[in-house]
Amino acid sequence: MSVTLTYEMPELVTRAPLDIHRSTVLPEWVDWNGHMNVAFYVAAFDQASGTFMRNMGLGRNYVNNKLGMTFVLETHVTYDREMKGGAPMRFTTQLLDRDAKRVHMFHEMYHSEEGYLAATNETIVMNIDYTTRRSAPWPAQAAERLEAIWATHKELAKPAKSGRMMGLKKK
Amino acid sequence: MIDLDPGAPLDIHRATVLPEWIDWNGHMNVGYYVVAFDKATDTLCNQFGVGWEYTREKIGMTFVLEAHVTYDREVKEGDPLRITTQILDHDAKRIHYIHEMHHATEGYLAATNELMLMNIDYATRRSAPWPDWAMTRIERAAAAHAKLPRPHQAGRIIGIKRK
Repeated sequence: MSVTLTYEMPELVTRAPLDIHRSTVLPEWVDWNGHMNVAFYVAAFDQASGTFMRNMGLGRNYVNNKLGMTFVLETHVTYDREMKGGAPMRFTTQLLDRDAKRVHMFHEMYHSEEGYLAATNETIVMNIDYTTRRSAPWPAQAAERLEAIWATHKELAKPAKSGRMMGLKKK
Repeated sequence: MIDLDPGAPLDIHRATVLPEWIDWNGHMNVGYYVVAFDKATDTLCNQFGVGWEYTREKIGMTFVLEAHVTYDREVKEGDPLRITTQILDHDAKRIHYIHEMHHATEGYLAATNELMLMNIDYATRRSAPWPDWAMTRIERAAAAHAKLPRPHQAGRIIGIKRK
């Protein structure tokens, strides 16, 4: 039986890619190399995933009302350029694929003033039943929003940095 | 410089899940798995003489180029972690390796982290060959690790697999 979302839904954004998440590099994210530490790129991207999930109707209310959760299964990051403390970040998110309980998405992180690409993050997020902590299909209302998002995102070209396998390219 | 540990995989890094690593789902947040793994990378770099002192002495730094994480099972606040490290490949300025995070007492695999690490010249902040002393150690460790089977989590491409 599908979970009913009882809280108020945010306005649905179907524009592709999703380009609404903004953030700032916090001082405590900077390491001894004087730049944002690798782990905090992932923390920053996780917040961008949170924005995508909220657009599906699965924000913090989803957990607080004990209806469900979303877990990351796998993530792949390319570190393209350094970011310093205080740097403003702009994230874009492209939905690459989806099924009954998972989304496969691709984030790009830009320095919002200088415009350069700082990193990318390809990730798979799964819907989780609150009680069993096991995977479960998306709530019907979220699945409906996901299809509306997919309708525009599927028209985008696949990003060059998606689908990467790691390895030393020998010349 | 410390003695090079002959173990394959390297099995010396231990940690504990800190309270501030927990998110609203009541488990270690995805970002903090990478914090924990990055500290295991420090342990690896220390083996090769390219750890904290390497940067403090303004000789060089190491930058991560790319990372892949599989989240296999949840860990909770206070859980003890055992992280092992296997070198998969290396060249004149990079190391390709994979960490495995285990729950130290229950034994289960919690996550893996495959990484590409590059040596960086301190002054130019550009890539540079490993210092000789580090390269010698990297080659010794890589030779020992070459006998290990390749973990199936290495070399993964992300995607939704359909039946």
